[in-house]
Amino acid sequence: MRCADAASSLQNQTTTADNSGKVPVEHLDYDYIRKCQDVKYLDMIWRVLRSGDEGIYPHLIEFCESHLEKLDPMSLVLRKEKPVATAASLSNDEWSQIVDELKKWQEETKETETSLKQQSMFDELVNTNLPPIRGSNRSFPLSQTSVPKEKRYSSKHTLPRDYREWDKFDVEKECERIDENLVKNDASVIISTGHPKLKTKVDASMLTQQEKLLLANYEKDKGNEAFRANDYEEAVAYYSRSLSIKPTVTAYNNRAQAEINLKYWHNAMRDCVRVLELEPGNMKALLRRATVYNHMCNFEMAVEDLRVVLKEEPQNAAATQLLSETEKKRKECQPEQQSKGKKILIQEVEEEDDNNNNEKTKAEDTARPVEPSQPVGGEESSAAPAERGDMGNAQKKPHSRGDGGPHSESNNSHHGHRRSKGGSSDKYKVTQESKEKVANGTSKRGSTASVPADQSNSGKETPVGGNAGETVNLDAPCGALPPPLARLKNEGNLLFKNGQFSDALEKYSQAIQGCTDSGIDSPEDLCILYSNRAACYFKDGNSQECIQDCTRALELQSFSIKPLLRRAMAYDSLERYRKAYVDYKTVLQIDISVQAANDSVNRITRLLIEEDGIEWREKLPDIPLVPLLAQQHRREEPPSAEVLQARAEKTVRDAERKAEGRFTALKQEGNDFVKKGQYQDALGKYTECLKLKPEECAIYTNRALCYLKMERCTEAKQDCDAALKVEPTNKKAFYRRALANKGLKDYLACSSDLQEVLRQDPNVQEAEKELEEVTALLRESLANAKALPAKPRKTVPITEVEGDEEATGVANSESSHRGEDITTNLRPTDAYEYGQALNAARCSGNTAACADLLASTTPETLPQFLSTQLDGNTISFIMQALDSHLLEKDPNLVYRHLNHLHTTDRFSVVLMLLEKEERRHMTQLFEHLSAVQSTEFTKNDVQNLANKYI
Amino acid sequence: MSSPLAKPQIIAHFQKSLNYTVFDSKWIPCSAKFVCLGNFARGTGVMQIYEVQHGEAQLIKEVEYPKPIKCGTFGATSLQQRHIATGDFDGNLNIWNLEMPGPPVFTVKAHKEIVNSIDGVGGLGIGDGAPEIVTGSRDGTVKVWDPRQKDSPVANMEPVEGETKRDCWTVAFGNAFNDQDRCVCAGYDNGDIKLFDLRNMSVRWETNIKNGVCCVEFDRKDINMNKLVATSLEGKFHVFDMRTQHPTKGFDSVSEKAHKSTIWQVKHLPQNRDIFMTAGGAGNLHLWKYEYPAHRSKTDSDDMEVGVAGSVTLLQNATLSTQPIASLDWSPDKQGLCVCSSFDQCVRVLIVTKLSQV
Repeated sequence: MRCADAASSLQNQTTTADNSGKVPVEHLDYDYIRKCQDVKYLDMIWRVLRSGDEGIYPHLIEFCESHLEKLDPMSLVLRKEKPVATAASLSNDEWSQIVDELKKWQEETKETETSLKQQSMFDELVNTNLPPIRGSNRSFPLSQTSVPKEKRYSSKHTLPRDYREWDKFDVEKECERIDENLVKNDASVIISTGHPKLKTKVDASMLTQQEKLLLANYEKDKGNEAFRANDYEEAVAYYSRSLSIKPTVTAYNNRAQAEINLKYWHNAMRDCVRVLELEPGNMKALLRRATVYNHMCNFEMAVEDLRVVLKEEPQNAAATQLLSETEKKRKECQPEQQSKGKKILIQEVEEEDDNNNNEKTKAEDTARPVEPSQPVGGEESSAAPAERGDMGNAQKKPHSRGDGGPHSESNNSHHGHRRSKGGSSDKYKVTQESKEKVANGTSKRGSTASVPADQSNSGKETPVGGNAGETVNLDAPCGALPPPLARLKNEGNLLFKNGQFSDALEKYSQAIQGCTDSGIDSPEDLCILYSNRAACYFKDGNSQECIQDCTRALELQSFSIKPLLRRAMAYDSLERYRKAYVDYKTVLQIDISVQAANDSVNRITRLLIEEDGIEWREKLPDIPLVPLLAQQHRREEPPSAEVLQARAEKTVRDAERKAEGRFTALKQEGNDFVKKGQYQDALGKYTECLKLKPEECAIYTNRALCYLKMERCTEAKQDCDAALKVEPTNKKAFYRRALANKGLKDYLACSSDLQEVLRQDPNVQEAEKELEEVTALLRESLANAKALPAKPRKTVPITEVEGDEEATGVANSESSHRGEDITTNLRPTDAYEYGQALNAARCSGNTAACADLLASTTPETLPQFLSTQLDGNTISFIMQALDSHLLEKDPNLVYRHLNHLHTTDRFSVVLMLLEKEERRHMTQLFEHLSAVQSTEFTKNDVQNLANKYI
Repeated sequence: MSSPLAKPQIIAHFQKSLNYTVFDSKWIPCSAKFVCLGNFARGTGVMQIYEVQHGEAQLIKEVEYPKPIKCGTFGATSLQQRHIATGDFDGNLNIWNLEMPGPPVFTVKAHKEIVNSIDGVGGLGIGDGAPEIVTGSRDGTVKVWDPRQKDSPVANMEPVEGETKRDCWTVAFGNAFNDQDRCVCAGYDNGDIKLFDLRNMSVRWETNIKNGVCCVEFDRKDINMNKLVATSLEGKFHVFDMRTQHPTKGFDSVSEKAHKSTIWQVKHLPQNRDIFMTAGGAGNLHLWKYEYPAHRSKTDSDDMEVGVAGSVTLLQNATLSTQPIASLDWSPDKQGLCVCSSFDQCVRVLIVTKLSQV
């Protein structure tokens, strides 16, 4: 087999080599044909086979064709002459269908024809609006030999003239002709582009009904064709023509689609609306309108339309796709939400704790009657379990179980959350504490105020000691409620969960009563109680009471989500849709992700539109604006494509955008301050920024920069830490922490931070340099515990301000400034370092730095240092530095430098290439130098030296 | 050709043998009737009107004329009148009222020799502007007529004196998308194709396809020139994209060698301009679809717009006869219905299915 393969591949090679040659007989073979990939060669084989020269092999031909079809379905070989099909070649059904259609058409056309004839009999008006006859008989001669533009004169003059003709040549006449020709050329070169002259209206006033219909259809067909050719402008024009003859749904619909393709959203919208006026519920129009809405960023309306479509045609793939797309876009439009929370389960009375024991406890709850212990109450709530133990009620079971019970913390504000979390995490501690307390036998007695309430309960309580089973902790702390009331509430929760709503109602009522009686001022808890009772009322079908309770709860704590939602549901059930709508909307302002509210809003919107028409919004009561504070516990929506759109979103978005805008403004101000060097002010701005958005990494790093500048390294380090908490791989944060660490003289931490920076991005040169330095410092400090940094160093000036995107310019500015550092501080030890220092100084035009550098260089070594790096700019720069700074201080040094400078490599070459300006500097220097009186050199020496330079 | 099932089928509905040579067959607009034009063996002309009824053609009317009729068109008449314009062997252009027998409503000695081809525009709601008829003749001239103006053509394209006259085999109107613009395309026996701009009265473009041009047709007469198909003697056809004209290169085209014999006719489907049928000298029909390229024009190195031609796909073919099919006409009213006549003295009504699914 392998042999065969090899052979065939060999053959392949050979055949491709001599493609033009004859087909060898051995290629007329199934195996060969199967392996052959060369369409042309196969074609040849096929021809040989068909010719019958090598014998006739019908099956092989067929095989060859089928193989060829696989390789090249468009091959000419496959085009066979087919006899015309007849009625017999179709199935009976198909044929009868065709015949029926034909028959129908025949009848229809007969009718149209007769009506046309009748019309023409009455209507003797010959089309009066016909355009006039083309201007009289104009003939234009043609020549067979192209050159179309000179038709009129071509016959004689395009041919080369013979001598006799030249004799008669009339220059002026010829010139005229040429001029004429030019004009003509211009005229005929006009190539009509586009179709600006296409009329979008057709005068159909003279036409009969039949004609109009035909014409409208015809124009529409032209539109369709243009549409198919992706010529949407033209398509729109033809649809418009069709519509001007006779408005039809299809033409409007098609024009809408063409306009969508052209992105003429408003026109498309108008057309869709017209279709829907003519034919309400037209699926295509709805779908197209949804598309338009989608593009006009009106996602709510888009979703609404799409839902109508999907309701009618659940299988509509386009609608489904568009819907998910719209949802996605809508979500993208929402500003990102930082805070995270738990999902609210609307139908539940409260949130379920994450406790593992929960399920188990619940199961036990249902299995056994409630078994309350006898709390004394009044203690600090966290100590409540301890109290119970203290009471000696023979309940020495571990609390872990009981703690898992449904202690309520149904307030979903931050406050509530934190407390609940604290509560559950403290579980163990509390238990230990309680044990200690039991051992010590010391405990605080509760306030007596709660005792009566407690006693009112006692009748129901089963004797405690007799039960060996594990109990549910009903004394779980509940906000600021005293234990008896908390207990009542927990009992209520439990009963609610078990479905005993009226019993739960009673418990809650008692708790509320207890609260008011004892004068406890805890609106939060009272709000929860009311809210829970409202839930009970709602479950019992008592919507009125439910609404009352919710309203009370909301009076205590406005914009509390659960009472609002419950009230909305109650209103909804009472069919007071407007109020329900308002409540739902408010809920959505607080938390956009409440699915039930979203759904209900959509549902109610439709109901209201049906009821009140388009102006339904005007009849709505005002929707209260939820303050920003109440919105903070919104969280990211779960990534579900099914989440439905709510209109409240817009208000929410506005508020959020405002916050966003303020944040950006603050940040910008901060950045500006940094640029100006007002770090204190910048600090303030950034701090404000962080109040708005505590999760913004860039702000932390920017503030860290400010702190660094102000040499408040500890704070800088803290900010970097915070930034790294948000974004654990932030390079800048690492770099700045390194600097802060360096400032704090924690070289070890510094070097590890720098290493981290370099690990992330090996190209950060500053970090590399810094690392080198720090490593040296580290070594030093290790060697000499007392050692201070060898040289007093400036803190590294980093002047960049972090923008939204990491600018590449940042690195540049940093490096250039670092360059300055080097110039002033570094004592170059080799040509490379010297060159760098010099370059840095030159780049920043810092002649003083250069002068310093030169001053610290011994003139004899100057040529070495400069080595091959000398160029015109450098010389000029050195001259300037010498002239402006060194000359005054130490003319001798200047002289010595100059004396050595000209010995540098390539000096003469560079000298030749000096520019005028640079020469001027040099002359100036020498003039100044010659004016100086010195013991070391005379004017003559200067003159001699100058000759070498100038 | 989305699926094999959607492939159109060419079905011979019925055929009718005639006792004369039929040169042209045309559907009467807004009816189930068609007209056959030809010549009797005795040298006279004939026009027959048939109606499609119960799966066969019923002869409704037959008129004999002194001269054989070569070609006819309804293109320049109103839907109400539906007069047919014909060209005969003697070079006459006549317009007939089919309802009323008698002398023609318009007659003119248009050419010195046989009128090979005729086309009309401005009628039937197809094409804005005046109703006009164009005739092409063996005498080498192409003349445009307005039925309202007797005796003289409104435009005359004739070869320059002294040059050899080429036989004009085919003419077609196009670009009639408003009152002023209008083009006539003419094909000659030497392979010349000339495009006359009637607005500027000049030759807008010309080319040569090397072999005699048997038939030219714009995909639509009444739109901004879009495509032009020209068929030739040796069995090739060329599709020109007429949207973008390059000052020197002209229009880009794609050509296809389809038939093994002359392509006598090409006709675009009235309901879809990108589908057309060619009729060959070997009695076969090919149904084609033109596909546009992604971009119909590009800029060349000189920064000039140059067109880009698309591609053609064969949708279906069928062999009807051993004799050339000389005429072919789609019904303007019923998609897929077409009539064709061949030199075996037969007229056939065909049904092409599934055209809307292509």
